[in-house]
Amino acid sequence: MTSPLLDVRDLTVTINRDAGMVTALDKVSFHVNPGEVLGIVGESGAGKSITGAAIIDLLVPPLKRTGGTITLAGERLDTLSPKAMRAVRGGKIGFIFQDPMTSLNPVITIGRQLCDTIEAHLKIGGDRAKKKALEWIERVGLPNPDVQFKRYPHQLSGGMRQRIVIALALCANPALVIADEPTTALDVSVQAHILQLMRDLHRESRTSMMLITHDLGVIAKMADRVAVLYAGRVAEISLVGELFNAPKHPYTRGLIRATPMPSPDGNVRLDQIPGAMPGLGKTPPGCAFNPRCFKAEGDCCVTIPPLTARESAAFSCFHPLEKEVA
Amino acid sequence: MLNYAASRIVQTVIVLLVISFIAFLLVANIGDPLAALLSADATVNERMELVARLGLDQPIGTRFLHFLTNLLQGDFGLSYRTQDPVAKLIIERMPATVELAFVSLLITIAIGVPAGIYCGVNPNSLFGRFIMLISTAGITLPNFVVGLLLIAVFSVQLGLLPSFGRGDVVKLGFWSTGLLSVSGWRAIILPAATLSTFQVAFIIRMLRTQLMEVGMSEHIRFARARGLSEARIWYVYAIKNTLLPVITMLGLQLGNIIAFSVVTENVFAWPGLGSLFLQSIQAADIPVIAIYLIFVGLVFMVINLVVELLYPLIDARVLRRQS
Repeated sequence: MTSPLLDVRDLTVTINRDAGMVTALDKVSFHVNPGEVLGIVGESGAGKSITGAAIIDLLVPPLKRTGGTITLAGERLDTLSPKAMRAVRGGKIGFIFQDPMTSLNPVITIGRQLCDTIEAHLKIGGDRAKKKALEWIERVGLPNPDVQFKRYPHQLSGGMRQRIVIALALCANPALVIADEPTTALDVSVQAHILQLMRDLHRESRTSMMLITHDLGVIAKMADRVAVLYAGRVAEISLVGELFNAPKHPYTRGLIRATPMPSPDGNVRLDQIPGAMPGLGKTPPGCAFNPRCFKAEGDCCVTIPPLTARESAAFSCFHPLEKEVA
Repeated sequence: MLNYAASRIVQTVIVLLVISFIAFLLVANIGDPLAALLSADATVNERMELVARLGLDQPIGTRFLHFLTNLLQGDFGLSYRTQDPVAKLIIERMPATVELAFVSLLITIAIGVPAGIYCGVNPNSLFGRFIMLISTAGITLPNFVVGLLLIAVFSVQLGLLPSFGRGDVVKLGFWSTGLLSVSGWRAIILPAATLSTFQVAFIIRMLRTQLMEVGMSEHIRFARARGLSEARIWYVYAIKNTLLPVITMLGLQLGNIIAFSVVTENVFAWPGLGSLFLQSIQAADIPVIAIYLIFVGLVFMVINLVVELLYPLIDARVLRRQS
């Protein structure tokens, strides 16, 4: 087995509130292999975006990383100085933001933003940086790079802006890309184009990717493996085919069934999970999912189930589901 | 861009016309020129003759047109108080006020902008908090108090700077400048500092708030996620987003100082427009007040026009909103 590109162990993030510390991310562990796409899925508030931001130390206070280790290609990221961290951001880890309407600077041209990013990481300047910026504008599928180079974000449509966001994240050839809900803010038809673009770029460069989304459809289309987050903990990690066909954690199955999918007889099946995910600081004792789980027993309400590995998968559940015989 | 500029200029001209009309109504309706010009035993015929000569029997539109043509030809009427042409009074006083305004604007930019940026970038630093504390004093102290304090310290106690007048002036055509002599510069320091106290404090607070807000926006976070240096993020990416409101405020403040530095000019016996305005009000010198009103409008509109023409250079989105 090859050594992972990114290895996250026991990542813990807390919020410092007046009333005391609240845990937002509780000992989250996962890894990303070279060239692999790892999907991170979960409901709003499960800690997906926090996980992404914590890796490049971009948490917004009062969120604060308080534990765990993050290793990228053998280098510890959690102990880096701010200056060294700056070289990692954009240079080794590219970050694709969610909303293209707000993530581009409105008063600086597309070209300038690209050149600044390129010059910050690659030791090239002036004309060569401009040439590379033009290449990237073309690579993300925008016509007339020379024209786009001089334009301001407000002169582009949402889909075009998200292409620029992707170019900005990738233009310094990072080894890992973290994409935080890259298509959530877009129209459905534009979503498909952007996903296709990300897939093509991923194929070309074999860059590893961490794809954060709440959309299982996106996961099915893009990811090799999936980590399911629930209430700041990892519920299950497994290969994407295995996850959809034989989920181990009851929450994973609930999540899959809550996605509208037509069954063979033409009816649309839609099952919802009863209740709601506990808010920050309101996690029940034991397994965070136990109040909503149909398989919950006494032990689930007492001890937090540890992440147990079985074959290629890992899950944190005392009473995992067996493979359903459909 | 041409459309934008043209529409701004047309707007400016329209507003100036409205202001002129109001000023004209002031001259036309306050006071009774007949009573002032006719002797007490004038006959009805003499009276009618004078009315015709002054054009008072004309419809109001014609009279306004006449007033405007006179304005454009440089005929601003006569002061009731001194019998001098109003134009001469204003031109005599204007250089003092304009120079005072520009020097205080320079002080504002030189101190307020760097301090504001510092406070916006380091809002929680000790020095930043100290600046904010001082600026509170700058906002709350009235101008005349600041002026008197400065006089008490620098003129009376230390004897460093003069407390009144403009010093020696040099004539450059119609413009008499105090900025070419040492005594002129010494004289302008205290009044300019007095005027800029509020402005400096104001600009610091505005820049700080703006920068803190921009600093929390997604695009700044994204710039950080791309590994840009903090210097580039703050001094290029963030600052450019705060410039519109800042130059708008600086422009308005400049207009304010030129038009309404009455109190400060009085404290320092500064021979500028402010004191002319005060004297005219005391003497109910309507023609001067009316022309002054138009002048103030002109100053504000021209400054505003310049500021608005600068907008698209900073933020191209302004042009889109226009269309």
